[in-house]
Amino acid sequence: MLTFTLRRLLLAVPVLLGVVFVVMLTVDLLPGDAVTLMLGEHATKDAVAALREHLGLDKPFVVRYLDYVGHLLRGDLGRSMQQNRPVAAELADAWPATLQLTVAALVIAAAVGIAAGVVSAVWPNSLFDAVARLASLFGLSMPIFWTGLVLIVVFSLWLNWLPVGGAGSFAHLVLPAVTLALPSVAMVARMTRAAMLDVLREDYVRTARAKGVGEVWVLGKHALRNAFIPILTLLGLQSGQLMGGAVLTETVFSWPGLGRLMVKAIFARDYVLLQGAVLVFALAFVVVNLLVDLSYGALDPRIARQG
Amino acid sequence: MRTLVSRLAVALLGLTLVAALAEPVPAQKRGGTLTIVRPTDPVSLEPNLETTAPGAWVYFNMLEGLLTLDEKMQIKPVLATSYEVMSPTKVRFKLRPGVKFHDGTPFNAAAVKFTYDRALHGTPPARWASLAGSLAGAEAVDDLTVDILTREPYGPILRTLAMYCMGIVSPAAVQRLGADFSRAPVGTGPFKFVEWKTNTHVIIERHADYWGDKALVDRVIFKVVPEEGARMIALQTGDADMVLFPSPAQLPALRRDPKYTVHETTGIRVVFVGMHAGLPPLDDVRVRQALLHAVDRQAILDNIMEGSAGPARGVLAPGVFGYKDMQLDRVYPFDRARARALLGKAGFTPGPDGIMQKGGQRLSLSWIAARGRYPKDAEITEAVQAMFKDVGVEAKAQFLEWGTVFPQLRGNPLNHHLFTLGWVTSNADADYSLFALFHSKQVPPAGWNTSRYENPRLDTLVEQARRSLNQTEREKLYGEAQDILAKEMVWIPVYTTKEIIVTRAAVKGFGIHPVEYNLALWKTWLDK
Repeated sequence: MLTFTLRRLLLAVPVLLGVVFVVMLTVDLLPGDAVTLMLGEHATKDAVAALREHLGLDKPFVVRYLDYVGHLLRGDLGRSMQQNRPVAAELADAWPATLQLTVAALVIAAAVGIAAGVVSAVWPNSLFDAVARLASLFGLSMPIFWTGLVLIVVFSLWLNWLPVGGAGSFAHLVLPAVTLALPSVAMVARMTRAAMLDVLREDYVRTARAKGVGEVWVLGKHALRNAFIPILTLLGLQSGQLMGGAVLTETVFSWPGLGRLMVKAIFARDYVLLQGAVLVFALAFVVVNLLVDLSYGALDPRIARQG
Repeated sequence: MRTLVSRLAVALLGLTLVAALAEPVPAQKRGGTLTIVRPTDPVSLEPNLETTAPGAWVYFNMLEGLLTLDEKMQIKPVLATSYEVMSPTKVRFKLRPGVKFHDGTPFNAAAVKFTYDRALHGTPPARWASLAGSLAGAEAVDDLTVDILTREPYGPILRTLAMYCMGIVSPAAVQRLGADFSRAPVGTGPFKFVEWKTNTHVIIERHADYWGDKALVDRVIFKVVPEEGARMIALQTGDADMVLFPSPAQLPALRRDPKYTVHETTGIRVVFVGMHAGLPPLDDVRVRQALLHAVDRQAILDNIMEGSAGPARGVLAPGVFGYKDMQLDRVYPFDRARARALLGKAGFTPGPDGIMQKGGQRLSLSWIAARGRYPKDAEITEAVQAMFKDVGVEAKAQFLEWGTVFPQLRGNPLNHHLFTLGWVTSNADADYSLFALFHSKQVPPAGWNTSRYENPRLDTLVEQARRSLNQTEREKLYGEAQDILAKEMVWIPVYTTKEIIVTRAAVKGFGIHPVEYNLALWKTWLDK
């Protein structure tokens, strides 16, 4: 188990270096450069050249990449080109907000999605099932910025229950978390329903019922635990999806997270800041995947034995 | 020189008096918090790192320069009380006595020198260094007297010093805070810094020991709300008192609604269709004039801009020093017959496909434009393209991202006949536009003479005006330069931007400024 974890963490290093390379190359290939964007259209040629030199942008791509990686290995994320502020400080400001939002959305997605999926599977083709399936189709189809604005209009403008946007209190978190969670709720619900329907047809479920195990225990211990592996895989993938979706949600709800930091960095062609943000995302993805893999073993001892 | 000096001094004194005798103010209320929503977080709160609006809106209320431009675009003294032209490259300023920075340290000549040295000779120099033209630095004469030096005789020096980004910073605070100064600036202004939470808000509060009329509200909160719809809802729910960049579509309704006030004024950016005067057939002035006659500019203002922009009467915006109404609507009225007649005089005859031709060559022009760089830039490009077609001129427009258009316009040669561009006269002095855009030596990459316009007389006029410190003389020279440009038109000016800000009706005393960055909040008060 420990060697497995260590091996996976070591494998993350080339992944992260690759991510750094791809991001840097992409920014390099984008038309427009950071300096002209910073100095504006009126800048003199000399001013542009001076700032390029100061930021090291006059050096060839490979040199800049090696420079960056060298600093990275010493734990230095560099300074934002546009703001001249340590990238670490920018990330420290932004990532707790994104973590908070993603976790909240994931909890909603898991709780509501699994509950709805189980109920749908226990009473398939019931009225609840029909409504839940329709609702999940709706949840999947609606774009985040649309649902977000509709929720703002209803809960902030008409009912005046919740703030329009921003961060700071639990009330601020409700609308963005719900908006972000909606497509995931739908996916989790559909997956749970399908997995549960499969499992409920298994012999051991019939056996459990036959030997007089209570229905709640049958569903919880025998069915759901076995149905959980695909659901967990989906939740793992969704957490990546949620971080990505956070870019839009953060924009609609003025949520001060990493997604908006990244958008800002891209518009400014500030590759140092962008790298930092992407690294956090990539690292989070690696860690979530690792946790999912580890939890397979906890759910199903057969997987743990295979190592 | 002496008479010039005294005339300038009297003029400045006069301005001070006018300011003192300003109209009586209605009963103002003190206190309260003004909440402002706008789309983006600042890059920085000090001008050395940011010259764009998100930061400027905030620091304009905290940092003050020697001079400023009022809402009528007139120069007003702030930290200077008077000035005297010592030589063509030296202007001496008397500084306001008894002024202290927010950190309690005294404002003096050393602080002025420190600010300009740091900005102009730092590594790298301030982001505004290019805007400051020939400004070379400052020398302290005594504690309250400072000489501003220029590398060459530089007429625009006063308006340069009055720019929003020329605020004097506290040397003690810069030394204490280092790089963090850009996130917690210390100046002499009516508001002082409280807190900046990245991507959430910036808070500033009234500086109780301000040297002049103290601000009326206690606090101002600048919130970031990137989504336009959410900004407008925040205004409606009362979460915000003021919206910067309101949704244009909602303006007609807001103007009618007594709960809100729409503040608007003509800005200083002209958006135009530029013509490459060095590329046939646009090297023929008759063809260029024909294109001006072909464009129904009023229709564009009415139907595309829908009240969110004003007419462009020349190559400069009206608030700019040296502006002359070029009377384009009278000289080049929308008149297709005249357009065709001028093309006829230039040797073009209608071809079989309706497009004009000369010697078998169709009158076809290539055009480069960005989408979304300036309000409705792509829409106006398409509209003008269609209008050209009506007089038998084909224009092939290519729409690219601004990041791709920019290097082409800034490069040499330019392989397009036409380009859609906007130009802000950043220092509000005609020099900034007429020199950089039309002087024959300013062809890219040196400057922005993207039209490749060449006229020795115009070169002489803008050079003279640049070197003169006599503002009356300069105004005359710029007038003549604009008369020449009006005859030779290398632009089709389409519109002048409007600055538009919406507040709730309870927000009183706010005056919108033609320069977007000059968001002055110290006279604003809340009637609630």
